[in-house]
Amino acid sequence: MKGRLFRLCQKELRETIRDRRTVMTLLVMPLLLYPLLSMALNRFLLTSGARATNTFFIGVDTEEEGSLLASYLADPRSKPPEPISESSGGGIAEFEIRQTETVKAIDALYQNQFDIVASVEFGSPPKVTITSFRGDGGSQSARRILVERLHWLKMNVAQEVAGANAPSFYPPVDIVVDEIGAEDEAPLLATIVPLVLVLMTITGAVYPAIDLTAGERERGTMESLMASPVPRFYVLFAKYIAVVIVALLTAMINLLAMFTTLWLSGMMKFLSGSDAFPWLAVLQILGLLILFSGFFSALLLCLTSFAKSFKEAQAYLIPVMLLALAPGMLSLMPGVELSGPLAIAPLISIVILARDLLSGVFHPAGALAAVVSTIGYAAAALAIAARLFGTDAVTRTSEQSIGTIFRRPLKSTPVPSVPSAAFMLALLVPIYFVGSNGLMKFISEYKEDISLSTQFWLNILTLALTFGLIPLTATFLGRHKVSTTFRIHASSPPRFVLQLFGAMLMGLGAWTLAHEAFVITDALGIGGLSKERIDQALGQLQAWKQVPPWLLLLTFAVAPAIIEELCFRGFLFSTFSRVLNPVRTILLTSVLFGLFHVMTGNALLIERFVPTTLMGLMLGWIAYRTGSVLPGMLMHFVHNGLLLMVGRYHEKFNFFGRELDDQSHLPMEWLVIASLVVAAGVIIMVLSTKPRASRFSNE
Amino acid sequence: MENDGTTSLGLPEHKMLNVHSLVKSFSLDSDEVRAVDDLSFSVAPKIVYGLLGPNGAGKTTTLRIILGLLEPDSGYTSVDGIRTCDDPIAVKSRLGFVSSNDGVYPWLSVREMLHYFGDLYGVDPEVAADLTESLAGLMGIDKLLDRRAGTLSTGQRQRVTLVRGLIHDPPVMLLDEPTRGLDVVGVQTIFEYIEHLRDAEKAIVVCTHRLDEAERLCDQFGLLHQGRLQYEGTMEEVRKKSGRDHLVEMFVDLMKGEVE
Repeated sequence: MKGRLFRLCQKELRETIRDRRTVMTLLVMPLLLYPLLSMALNRFLLTSGARATNTFFIGVDTEEEGSLLASYLADPRSKPPEPISESSGGGIAEFEIRQTETVKAIDALYQNQFDIVASVEFGSPPKVTITSFRGDGGSQSARRILVERLHWLKMNVAQEVAGANAPSFYPPVDIVVDEIGAEDEAPLLATIVPLVLVLMTITGAVYPAIDLTAGERERGTMESLMASPVPRFYVLFAKYIAVVIVALLTAMINLLAMFTTLWLSGMMKFLSGSDAFPWLAVLQILGLLILFSGFFSALLLCLTSFAKSFKEAQAYLIPVMLLALAPGMLSLMPGVELSGPLAIAPLISIVILARDLLSGVFHPAGALAAVVSTIGYAAAALAIAARLFGTDAVTRTSEQSIGTIFRRPLKSTPVPSVPSAAFMLALLVPIYFVGSNGLMKFISEYKEDISLSTQFWLNILTLALTFGLIPLTATFLGRHKVSTTFRIHASSPPRFVLQLFGAMLMGLGAWTLAHEAFVITDALGIGGLSKERIDQALGQLQAWKQVPPWLLLLTFAVAPAIIEELCFRGFLFSTFSRVLNPVRTILLTSVLFGLFHVMTGNALLIERFVPTTLMGLMLGWIAYRTGSVLPGMLMHFVHNGLLLMVGRYHEKFNFFGRELDDQSHLPMEWLVIASLVVAAGVIIMVLSTKPRASRFSNE
Repeated sequence: MENDGTTSLGLPEHKMLNVHSLVKSFSLDSDEVRAVDDLSFSVAPKIVYGLLGPNGAGKTTTLRIILGLLEPDSGYTSVDGIRTCDDPIAVKSRLGFVSSNDGVYPWLSVREMLHYFGDLYGVDPEVAADLTESLAGLMGIDKLLDRRAGTLSTGQRQRVTLVRGLIHDPPVMLLDEPTRGLDVVGVQTIFEYIEHLRDAEKAIVVCTHRLDEAERLCDQFGLLHQGRLQYEGTMEEVRKKSGRDHLVEMFVDLMKGEVE
């Protein structure tokens, strides 16, 4: 079996490497690109006045002028005192004075023969005019440094004379410099290389990923491949190995070309701080490369496995490439550390890891988390790819165009299809983002002019227009039956009353569990609350006390309970349960529910994810057991309402003499009571829904 | 659907390839289309079975279900007594499949490609190498074995595809529109190939809408229209049932029935 897998890999590799287009990205591009890039970079580094000691050329017209300037610069009094020159890098810029032969020095400056031109009007004292070229960074620095040198000379001489004539003379001020902060800022190499790694591995992986997946279909080999008795995962794994190898090769050749040009052009010292070829960095980068190409190859294969053609695959990949650049830029920002959620954030974690490694910093725990989570993401992407690759959705030729989404079908259907739910979500995400951000901006700008009550009404309106109106519009456009789409359904009265009672009990106890989940995630360091945010929240609670409690309940309990339940446990639940089993349906709707709560306003409230998703799981379970949104609405309302009332009457909330605090665990007695209440609710729910649940699972 | 032991039109079932009460629908723009509607037939070794019908009759869908590329809504298919739903890998390894849409890997040599498919089918590399030589001799592509597949002509490519379908020596062979887009020489190659398959005692299904060719090639016929088997049997039997001499006339009758 091993030999077979090896031969399968061999075929994929042969196929890509023989392809001329692969060879182009693999070899020709880096060989041409880097010499050109290095020239551009050279110019950039020199003109931006990097802290390097280079030689500036001063042009003069006559020999007398030249020798006068030379004598000034040779005078030790023209040099800044030791500590000051050290603080700006240690070295002192060299000046070389050149005399023009045929043309005037000013004209030679126009032709970029010198950095600056100096002319002297002899007299006492001689008057030196320094001319620099506007807009040229090198020329500007040369002028600045020369002026400083001459100033030091003037001052030191003046101080000597003054000291000799008046023994009581002392200068008005003495300057001493000092520095704080890290000893050495990260070398340029550490900030540039992660970005380069991202670009290189993507460039290397894109073409083979498309060619080996969507290409199979385009060549007409997909059907015979799928008809062969080899597990899909095998085929895909062979392709994965091939893509990783090509991505690795591309990145290695690129890096080699980059380092060689940098080294040959003498620019290495700008990047790594020393002139030697950075062998250690190269080795570290090789290790990182495996991580990067392993990650991107899996991600790209996963996306291209969806695609029916090259064109489609490219359409999927371009946004991903652009998105991948954003985390790449992160490495350019100081103060981003490999800890907390960032240590397991896909791509971001390994970008930061690369930057840290190259600047000589190493957090073992963070690095381990980054590597392990990245391997996990790659494996997950690959598993999805193996499921998608060659499935009948991909093999079949029926195409759904954008137009079919907007056209209202003639026949009514009980439940939306997955594409129409995806379309609904695609609308909901940006509209919700714009809506909630716009609302926050509006409120913070006109805080004085609009009352708190109006703000609350606006809040309800936004909720209704997003989570309410958009699924409703999708239902109308898709001609889906409202009662089945939103799962508005009541069982026979006695059973329904029991279900409502069970849901209410669950809602009464659930907030304690949500609170505990919040405290635990906070302790684990996954998105805790900062002190400021807690204070802000407490301040908000104070302010809310001016609002009548019914409006508070309407805004944060009634409206969310009705609207969010209809959207998540109604529309999305009915859609997904058509194609997924109950467990997956509940999981998926809960995670979406959690994600939407994270994305509130302009800040990502990561700490809300775990509690909200847990809440979603409970609501999903109720929706599944009862086959209806109605009991879930009640639980949602009770849960939110209870939290609000607890918040409103915060000071009065002393239970068995214990204070309630946002960051500490609840007293044990509370937890026991709450758990019992939830358990009672669950039991009532199970008892009141048994026959229906068994019917559901038979479907 | 309790007609175990017979096909939908009453013929006895064979073990080698058996299709039983197959149903498959597709939804297009929220309309349901029945591509295959309660289809049953079976094919014995040494028999060439022509699954005939106009475009869209459900021929390719049926083949895809047999190959395990699509799942039926109900019913099943089995090869050598093994149902596709029970052990798709075992079924796939007993099926050879050649279609007119088949492509090649342009950057691989013909030999590399054939060996690759040998690996996909789990054939021992040495056996695959021997079989490649002998089949290449048979189909007249022995001189092309080391050429890049991308440089082959249409006819050469077709012969490579035909060899590819046999690389694991399957007992059942499925051919989907094998003559589409071929010239006279190409069509003749297919005829010889099918003769070879019959001699090698394989159970063969040929899907085609070229009724004239089917009449020359096949031993048994299944006339498919709108996913249903309308007539089935040998040429004699089909003629008797339909009261027509030629397949073309039978189809014209069927299409007229649809219009009325």
